[in-house]
Amino acid sequence: MYEEPGCFDPNNSMAEGVYSGFPQAMANNQKQFEENLELSAEELSYHHHNHQEDTSVSAMELELQKYLSFNVENCDNNTYRSHMMQQVVDDRNQLLSYDHSNWNTGDIGFNQDDPQQNGHRSFNINSLPQTPDLLNLFQLPRCSLLPNSSISFANSNHDTTPLGFIEDLPASDSTSVLYDPLFHLNLSPQPPLFRELLPSIPHGYNLPTSRSDANSLFGDERDSNGVKAYQDEDGGMLEFARDMACIVRGSGNGKKKKPFTTERQRREHFNKKYTALRNLLPNPSKIDRASIVGDAIEYTKELLRTVNELKLLVERKRCGRERIKRHKTEDDAVGDVEQSYNGSLRSSWLQRKSKDTEVDVRIIDDEVTIKLVQRKKIDCLLFVSKVLDELQLDPHHVAGGHIGDYYSYLFNTKIYEGSSVYAGAIANKIIEVMDREYAAAAPTSI
Amino acid sequence: MEFLGSASDALCIAQARRRQVYDDSMYKSKNLHAERRRRQKLGDRLLALRSLMNKATIVEDAITYIQMLQRNVKVLSDQLLEMDSLSVQEDEEPTRDEINASEQMKKYGIKEDVKVTGIDGNKLWIRVVFEKKRGGITKFLEASTSLGFELTDTNVTTSKGAILVSSCFKGIYGNALGVEQTKKLLQEIIRNM
Repeated sequence: MYEEPGCFDPNNSMAEGVYSGFPQAMANNQKQFEENLELSAEELSYHHHNHQEDTSVSAMELELQKYLSFNVENCDNNTYRSHMMQQVVDDRNQLLSYDHSNWNTGDIGFNQDDPQQNGHRSFNINSLPQTPDLLNLFQLPRCSLLPNSSISFANSNHDTTPLGFIEDLPASDSTSVLYDPLFHLNLSPQPPLFRELLPSIPHGYNLPTSRSDANSLFGDERDSNGVKAYQDEDGGMLEFARDMACIVRGSGNGKKKKPFTTERQRREHFNKKYTALRNLLPNPSKIDRASIVGDAIEYTKELLRTVNELKLLVERKRCGRERIKRHKTEDDAVGDVEQSYNGSLRSSWLQRKSKDTEVDVRIIDDEVTIKLVQRKKIDCLLFVSKVLDELQLDPHHVAGGHIGDYYSYLFNTKIYEGSSVYAGAIANKIIEVMDREYAAAAPTSI
Repeated sequence: MEFLGSASDALCIAQARRRQVYDDSMYKSKNLHAERRRRQKLGDRLLALRSLMNKATIVEDAITYIQMLQRNVKVLSDQLLEMDSLSVQEDEEPTRDEINASEQMKKYGIKEDVKVTGIDGNKLWIRVVFEKKRGGITKFLEASTSLGFELTDTNVTTSKGAILVSSCFKGIYGNALGVEQTKKLLQEIIRNM
């Protein structure tokens, strides 16, 4: 389920109705925009008074706000406003950008009445070049949304515009209620249509998913770094997509957690995710994101190989045991217990690195090739040899020596029959032993 | 935003190409075509969907997937261990290869041998041939180190039931090693193996 803090009213059908309206809006004529705008001012005030206490409406409005992906923010900054407007203006193809401007203009009309309005409502309806286009978004067929007309506050102590979408509702009083114009409409959910909308959301438009953190999402992005980071993260826009999908489908997946109020929080969250990924990896080297992702790719491939290898081994073991049982019961002369291979060739490869040691293990069928590079400190040959014995590997060839500061060895070994050792185990064991010996030898380094 | 655009472009191109191929081979069964087309459609759409994922989801999904794989590995390896412990009653006789080692050596006329030469200051070069045994190399190395030898640039080869070790010996404590002395010690080692 879509998780909405506080005041969200899980009225999914409504939500769906709301969203489905927009695609239709886009198809409509621009001309009506101005008319609607005119209407809106009146209706806004009308609705404002009438829907103050309408909590369900406000819930819907919240939904609407969310899904319109407006950066509701509490920012009083004029420049921010213009910046947003600029973005909107620039993104002609973005239907929702139209939406945004539209809200703004409608907002403007309404706001003039509101003494609490912040300075940013300086836009003049007539000065908006985009207004005709904006109308598209809101020109729904008869039964559809007239956004301007129905925008209103329910919360009088809310100091933002009636178009709660655009403004960030202050975190503290999340009681601000927005009337959802589509509330009364029973628009059928059309997820695919809305999905098409999603990619068109302009960059930098964040989707506040709750009132409480709506503030300053955009504000933080104002600075170039913020915007950049946001664009890097790309989280907001496509989060919107996901959120939409959730709402529309009623499933609660995706980034459903409370949205981030600040760009910094978002970045920190992302960094946490990256470090979480890094902690999963066995050979973390650099800390930059590209390496983390690269290592993750390698590790995933390795894990897949290991899983296949293990499955094969288990299968073999099972066959072997069955054969043994059969031999015992059938009195077979040839006790070929070990010939229990199934048809496929086992192959696997992995690498492990630790502070002083690098191990590369490759297995093809029953031959294991181990490359070992370690910093010269202790004579590792003996220890490795012991480990190989433990692991039931029979060394056929060993070659290596000193190279600069390092010992480098190559072991060609064969697996003793009946042993089901696998690559991961070998590598891990070797590394473990090496590290242990290193630790033990540290105080007496030669 | 561009994702969907590029994905659908890729989709179109792929479909166009495929349509070409289909037109050429009209004689194949139509069902085959239809089925293949449907499968390809699904594949393309999955690709497009994947291209839509945003960075956060990708990282999150990666984390989840890796954790799942790790769990699988653990489960499988535990299973393997369990199977191993269950089947311990099967005796691990030394394999035929191992039994034949000494016979092989005799067959090929390979003899146990120790050669020691001094090189370069207090280093010695040794060359030892002995019978292949399970854990034989380990024993040799162990004995050598316990006698105060340090091996560098070691090379071990196995063939025809025999093991050949050639290595550079150095005194662990930096002491000089006598050639004859070392030779005797090595012979002792092989004998005791």
